[in-house]
Amino acid sequence: MQFKRLFAVGAIQSAIICALPALFAPMANAASLTGTITTENGAPVMGAMLTVFNEAGNRKETVYTGADGSYAIHTDFGGKLNVRARLANFEDTTTTVQLAADQVSTVNLTVKHFASAQARSDALTASAHTAKLPWASAEQRTPFVSQCNYCHQVGNALTRSARSEDAWTQTLDRMQGYFAMLSKGEAKTFANVLARGFDGKPVDTVLDYGVTPELTHAKVEQWLVGDAMTFIHDTDVGEDQKLYGTDEGHDVVWVLDRKTGKIDSYPEPDINLPAGGMFAGMTLPIGIFTGKHGPHSMAQGKDGRIWITNALSSTLASFDPATKAFKLYPVPGDVLYPHTIRMDQDGIVWFTNVVSNQVARFDPKTEKFTVIRLPSNGLVRWVTDMLLPTIMHVANWFPHKNLPLDISTHKFLGHDVLNFPYGIDVDPKDGSIWYAKLYVNKIGRIDPKTLQVTEYDTPMKGPRRPRFDRNGILWIPAFDESGLMRFDPERKTFESYKLPVLADGEYEVPYALNVHPVTGDIWITANASDRILRFIPSTKRFISYPSPTRVTVLRDLVFTKDGRVCNSTSNLPAYGTEDGLDSFMCFDPDGGDKDKAAILAAKGK
Amino acid sequence: MNERIRPTQAAIYAALLTISAVVMIYMGTYASAYYAPSVCLLLEAVLLWCGIARKLFERVLQLNQLTGIVLILTLWLGDALHLPKLDIAGVMLIGNMVSGGPLMAALAIPLLASFHFGKTLPDWFQSRGV
Repeated sequence: MQFKRLFAVGAIQSAIICALPALFAPMANAASLTGTITTENGAPVMGAMLTVFNEAGNRKETVYTGADGSYAIHTDFGGKLNVRARLANFEDTTTTVQLAADQVSTVNLTVKHFASAQARSDALTASAHTAKLPWASAEQRTPFVSQCNYCHQVGNALTRSARSEDAWTQTLDRMQGYFAMLSKGEAKTFANVLARGFDGKPVDTVLDYGVTPELTHAKVEQWLVGDAMTFIHDTDVGEDQKLYGTDEGHDVVWVLDRKTGKIDSYPEPDINLPAGGMFAGMTLPIGIFTGKHGPHSMAQGKDGRIWITNALSSTLASFDPATKAFKLYPVPGDVLYPHTIRMDQDGIVWFTNVVSNQVARFDPKTEKFTVIRLPSNGLVRWVTDMLLPTIMHVANWFPHKNLPLDISTHKFLGHDVLNFPYGIDVDPKDGSIWYAKLYVNKIGRIDPKTLQVTEYDTPMKGPRRPRFDRNGILWIPAFDESGLMRFDPERKTFESYKLPVLADGEYEVPYALNVHPVTGDIWITANASDRILRFIPSTKRFISYPSPTRVTVLRDLVFTKDGRVCNSTSNLPAYGTEDGLDSFMCFDPDGGDKDKAAILAAKGK
Repeated sequence: MNERIRPTQAAIYAALLTISAVVMIYMGTYASAYYAPSVCLLLEAVLLWCGIARKLFERVLQLNQLTGIVLILTLWLGDALHLPKLDIAGVMLIGNMVSGGPLMAALAIPLLASFHFGKTLPDWFQSRGV
């Protein structure tokens, strides 16, 4: 009996040891780095980022140091590798190591204080720089947060260069051609504040990431993709566990096989539209939106096809991951900018149409669309919603002249003249469809059978991309107010939470969130400060994970079966990011621990 | 021009058209397309004040009403009627803007009614011999 038990335990241990190489199969030639990161006076630092770049410079992996300053990273990179230690408020330290397969090397690094105030300021997050903008009031800042952080960070190295008020006016004019909805008065105020605030003088702020023990267990992986003009709007994980990214700038779908690191791209079929599609009358981000379709958001159906909203061509596309074949479905009516897409339990495709204030329903079996016009919320918005598709259509007769800016009512009233139904999700309890209206601060419910619509005011401004948890609670990021909202559809009650910021006066711009299907934790993008946040509902606690990449702007978050939280870095433009390219990025909350276990197992062998 | 024989109705409408033109000029300082209706409103104010070119005056009002009504109907019912909605609405929108825009639409209703049912404005134009 005793022998049998011992045999059983031994067998299990052997199985684990034998299984470990299989667990890390892609790391067949895996090497490891261990060591410590300390400050100049030898003090160990917790939460410092140790990043290893592969030899080609198109992949990087990052772990965080523990309380004793130690780190351990297991990687399949080999050759001459760059290694970097990064800690908030300290200067980066880099070194190069030659790493052979199966080699374990020790690299100890020291981070030093910055040599100058300017160098220290240059390393700060965008949030630290925008916090210094001299707004007369919080109300004055709100439309700036909404409109100027809409697609990209403001306050990073690319966007905070010192300019005159006239130069800022020209920049803001250009941004309006990219669909920033500024009234004339707002544009004038913004130009003045930006000219005074971004004066090139160093900013003196100490960033506090609120390092928690959870950070020391995590690992971040990045795969750089495309070129400097790539714009991977959303990432989805397929049933095959590959990552799919829609490149709105180039009309392609990128596919990453995380096991092999291989990245492929598949172009969408051509369409009889000019570059810019239905938005050819606007200037659009020239050199970035060179496509006609503008693939935006994705959802995979039960038959394996991935459904894609084509924002610029107002079409729905299906992509078959097996055959790599696309099929296009023009959305009928005056639909503009098909946006976030989700599948319901019956395999029906639902998506918002941002600019034309609609939600569309598509049945893949019958290939029939139903377009639902959402409540207008006032006469001015009704006029704007009804006229905007026509104005865009007329503008297309005069390409790239920005004609809509010469007629749109937003020039008088700002972005408040529109509804902008943005994110959408399906209630797992009753199958109802819920959407968030970004500009009118409402969420709405669509009965999937009757298509009856009911809207509710949100307590915080800027509801953007909401998601349901498995209990039927809707979690909503409040983009304009650095917040997180919890909505109970049964009780019709809200709870609001302020997101943690890195220093006084900062704001956060949570673009999207997702709820982990197993833990129920809420993962939130924090795009002003290069972080991803994790909210634990049971304890109402936030955990902050700093990104190893400066200018990290994340959008939809997805979960892989192996426990990773993945997304794409998609700042506009890609060349504004620290790496100069977009990337697929995966956070593994337990990835650091997995690496430590793998290194131990390797040593045991 | 004899001020004493200009009917009050003509003077009031000319003033309203002028005020509307000023409003549109102000809007044009925000979004330049609104200068187009302001020019038309000013033209109509001058024609009415002077009592000249009645046919042109009336045709502009009718064009404004026609384009406005077709625009609204197209936006409202275009999908259901399977019309080339945006092409029609686009042409109507341009037509409405160059014929005075929404403020002209509001004034055109009583003005056209005055021409159809009243004598004051027709007599005013006739008295000017045009």
